[in-house]
Amino acid sequence: MPYFVRLVIEGLETHTLTAGQLWKLIALFAATGTIGIFFSRLIRYIPLRLSHRIEYTLRNDLFEHLTRLDQSFYRTERTGDLMTKLSSDMNIIRDSIGQGLLQGTRTLITMVSASIVMFIADPRLTGLMFSVFIPMTIIFFLVLKLVRRYQQAMQEHVSEVSNFCHESFSGIRCIKGFAMERRRTGQFEELNHELIRKTMRMQASRQSLWPFMAFCFNLGTILIFISGGRRIIDGTLTIGTLTQFTYYLFYMRWPLLALSWVMSMLQRGKVSWIRVRDILETEPAIAEREESISDPSKPNASIAFRKVSLSIGPRELLSDIDLEIPAGTTIGITGPTGSGKTLLTSLVARLQDPTSGTVEIGGIDIRNLSLATLRGMIGFAAQEPVLFSRTLEHNIGFGVENPDMGIIGWAAEIAHLQGDIETFPDRYQTILGERGVTLSGGQRQRTSISRAIARRPDILILDDVLSAVDTQTEAAIMKKLQPVMAERTTLFVSHRVSTLRYSDTIVVIENGRITQQGTHDELIRQPGYYAELNTMQQLQEKLEGGK
Amino acid sequence: MNKGKRLLAYSRPYWRSLTASLVMILGMTLALNYLPLLLRRITDECFEKTDTAAAERIALLIRLGMIYLLYAGLGHLVRYVQSMLTAWIGQKIIYDLRLDVFRKVLRMHQGFFDKTAVGTLMSRATSDIDRLQHFVTEGVVGSIADLAMLIGIMGYMLYMSPLLSFSIFTTLPFLFAVMLYVNIRLRNANRDIRDRQSRLNALVQEDLTGMTTIQLFNREAYAMVEFDDRNSHLRSAYFDEVRWFSLYFPAIEAGQTIAVLITLAVGGFAILNGSEAVTIGTFIAFLAYVQNFFHPLGSLSDKAGAFQVALASTERIFSLLDSEEAIIDPEEPLAPDRIAGAIAFNKVWFAYNESHWVIRNLSFSVEPGQSLAVVGATGAGKSTIINLIGRFYDVQQGAVTIDSTDVRQFAKHDLRARLGYVFQDPFIFTSSVADNIGLNNPGISRNDIIRAARTVNAHDFIDAMPEGYDTVLNERGNGLSLGQKQLLVMARTLAQDPELLFVLDEATASVDTATEMLIQDALGKLMANRTSIVIAHRLSTIRHADRILVMRQGELVDQGTHDELMARDGYYRQLYELLLHSPDQ
Repeated sequence: MPYFVRLVIEGLETHTLTAGQLWKLIALFAATGTIGIFFSRLIRYIPLRLSHRIEYTLRNDLFEHLTRLDQSFYRTERTGDLMTKLSSDMNIIRDSIGQGLLQGTRTLITMVSASIVMFIADPRLTGLMFSVFIPMTIIFFLVLKLVRRYQQAMQEHVSEVSNFCHESFSGIRCIKGFAMERRRTGQFEELNHELIRKTMRMQASRQSLWPFMAFCFNLGTILIFISGGRRIIDGTLTIGTLTQFTYYLFYMRWPLLALSWVMSMLQRGKVSWIRVRDILETEPAIAEREESISDPSKPNASIAFRKVSLSIGPRELLSDIDLEIPAGTTIGITGPTGSGKTLLTSLVARLQDPTSGTVEIGGIDIRNLSLATLRGMIGFAAQEPVLFSRTLEHNIGFGVENPDMGIIGWAAEIAHLQGDIETFPDRYQTILGERGVTLSGGQRQRTSISRAIARRPDILILDDVLSAVDTQTEAAIMKKLQPVMAERTTLFVSHRVSTLRYSDTIVVIENGRITQQGTHDELIRQPGYYAELNTMQQLQEKLEGGK
Repeated sequence: MNKGKRLLAYSRPYWRSLTASLVMILGMTLALNYLPLLLRRITDECFEKTDTAAAERIALLIRLGMIYLLYAGLGHLVRYVQSMLTAWIGQKIIYDLRLDVFRKVLRMHQGFFDKTAVGTLMSRATSDIDRLQHFVTEGVVGSIADLAMLIGIMGYMLYMSPLLSFSIFTTLPFLFAVMLYVNIRLRNANRDIRDRQSRLNALVQEDLTGMTTIQLFNREAYAMVEFDDRNSHLRSAYFDEVRWFSLYFPAIEAGQTIAVLITLAVGGFAILNGSEAVTIGTFIAFLAYVQNFFHPLGSLSDKAGAFQVALASTERIFSLLDSEEAIIDPEEPLAPDRIAGAIAFNKVWFAYNESHWVIRNLSFSVEPGQSLAVVGATGAGKSTIINLIGRFYDVQQGAVTIDSTDVRQFAKHDLRARLGYVFQDPFIFTSSVADNIGLNNPGISRNDIIRAARTVNAHDFIDAMPEGYDTVLNERGNGLSLGQKQLLVMARTLAQDPELLFVLDEATASVDTATEMLIQDALGKLMANRTSIVIAHRLSTIRHADRILVMRQGELVDQGTHDELMARDGYYRQLYELLLHSPDQ
């Protein structure tokens, strides 16, 4: 295109141009311009679209991998960090592919083609241009590096300010209680003064970039004019060629600078990619054995713990557990907070594997069952259940393939949830969570019980699921739950003697060991944790009854 | 516009700098846009005037070249200074505003914090303010600079050749409209992306927290389907963005091409027809102007959209600044030198939420220097008593008095400076151990801090920390056990030397017996010689109190010493026996 401009100017300069020729040149200019714009669009459209396709696939892969990783992974990784990897790291990788490809090809094409055309047109002016642009690019790189460093320092200070705010707002009771508002504000002022200083330092370097570049561009222009101008006056160069060069000057400035940007982008992309790759390469600790798939039939629902110990880090959390639970019986588990009750139940569902010893179902080591078979047998309800922000129907039928309302209604009825559901605006279609109805602790627990029994599992695990429910409701639920529990093997964790007494056997766990085992009647006669618990709860009842 | 005016008021203290900035914009516009004019002179006077001697023309070329460089250098320097000045003004305005927000939040009453999430307050103090800062510096002043640039270029163009200028200008409204359109579509696409990204994030957040549940119920495949659904939604929003983004720069390029085309056509034919108005120099100058023309045009269309976002932030910030403070200091607060320490509740009724009374018709008094223990089941209204004395909330009926003066007659700040609190969950500031005890109170020396720590048995473990009293703790109190944190907080309270003391004493299962002994000992020392009210769960604190208040559902059931109450064999005795059997004792 600059070539056509040059021809027009040369023609005008030497007065050799005819109207027809001018029309022709203008038409050519328009045609190349249109083609150029078309390509300018494609060069953006294609790599960016591609990068989004890659991002999509990679994100899917990562999530799929995450669904396979087990508790020990989630215990060490914070959800926030994982979120970052699935969102901002993904974005950085995508940008480094998309923008890298876009700017990379653009820079390459522009630089190579413009250099060749320029060199053919006039080698001396080309040399002059590069002598301005190369130092400019180098200086630009250096300043940019400085900008990044200052920017990072500023960013760190920004998060310091926001942490200070956060701390002040969440510790407001303490601040007010000790009347420290004025001192706190004073500290905040200081922090913000420092922030201004750091911001201005960053701005001082950043704001210099644009004027500096523009000035270099001016410098290039005038150098071409002076150097080329002498030759025009000598008659060895035309104004048209000169103009052509100022055009190249204009075309070349961005690609060169974009180069530095692309470099840093690729670098950041690499860092993010490594972080994502680390997760993709993490093997789940709870994996199925190859031979496990050999047994498709469900085993019988008796459970046995054989010399089971579990250590996490240096601490032994369960030691030497030996326990037989015949199919169809109910076992009650109790003990102080943190004694290992929940861990014991989690071993059955292979949320973790014991450090030594085996857990058997129907006489088969559960590690020899496929995870789908094993977990398909189990209905699990936890003390602090996770419910999903969907309809109640979805939540109750969560573990059932193609649930029908019959099963859902039945499960809700057993967990004494129906009365509550009647009061919800959309009954079973009510959305749970922030955007819908926020359930009380007791309602959440009862929903989780419904979810577990809706599967009609062979093994039912109820981990302290009635702790947030008052005694009367608890009694009502237990009455309905009784027949359901009687049909299957049930592990039942509780702190309340009133519910524990329903079980066939009660096990007391203290400090990771089984210290007492027997029926309710046996245990209240033994001195120990269970008898103490019983006395205390009777006193409490008396206190509440006196209201 | 009221909000605009109010925002403008924040810039008033800096009007001098703002004026200077505007003058600089003017100077810069004139200088920088003069440059193509110089190119015209070079072309016309040095290259085209073949009748003048070559040497003379070269001398003129060099002289004009120097002037060009000088103008360019000056212009860009002024531009740099101006942008720095603008950035500084923006920072200052935001500084004032942020401080106003911070002060306002600290002034708000406790009830406000019960209803407002910390996250919401954070986004006012950070992201909303940032958005505003962006708008003030880059938006307002940037638009003025862009506009000035545009007008400057147009002025020079008109001056050189009205014919060429008008023919180029006719395309402007059309071009601006196209760019604005693309910009709006781009912004919509970006909004879609944000929406869908946050929908995806919400799903991922929930699935990651509930991963165990998903795995237990064999729902991995289903979770994957849902994820894929939202992920592909996000992708299609991105595709939409790519469609418009890939049009944006080509649109600018198209504008430039059209402008050059017009210059070539109109200018070319004018010269061909022998018109005097257009020279080759004009031609070259125009080609230079056209290149600079589209940058300010693009950024103007960009800022037009950002305006609305900033307006929403402004509105949120001002509505926070305007929220009503419920607990207000009296016009002429009382400030006695020293409080004797007699606390009395006089027929007090109080509810956090209307109609649900937490305290019902409560009357009691504490003599100076006495210690009072309040006992009762959870929800009996015990801790509310403490909240009312410190004016975290005001009573609905009746009065709370200190030395027979209604607490509402004190200034909150002065009142609370005399009170000391030990809360059940110790709050640790991100700061050194010493600052956590002294709370940056200038009246508390390092010696006072160490003495306080010694008294409450905290000195030993502090001394054992890597940098002793200068060890920096974070908000979660890194490395400290709960018991140690409680001791630290007691040292803090003791160092402040309060005239009245309130303790929320929650017996905690996770504190080991040795630390528990230290805490009980420290509590005793803290309460010595001070009027103190303890919301008690530890048997030892209850037994040692001068008097015990027994509460039940917001009402006073009984009061007296431990022995008296035990002798009565009532509600207190039942409570006491329950505590005796609780595993935490």
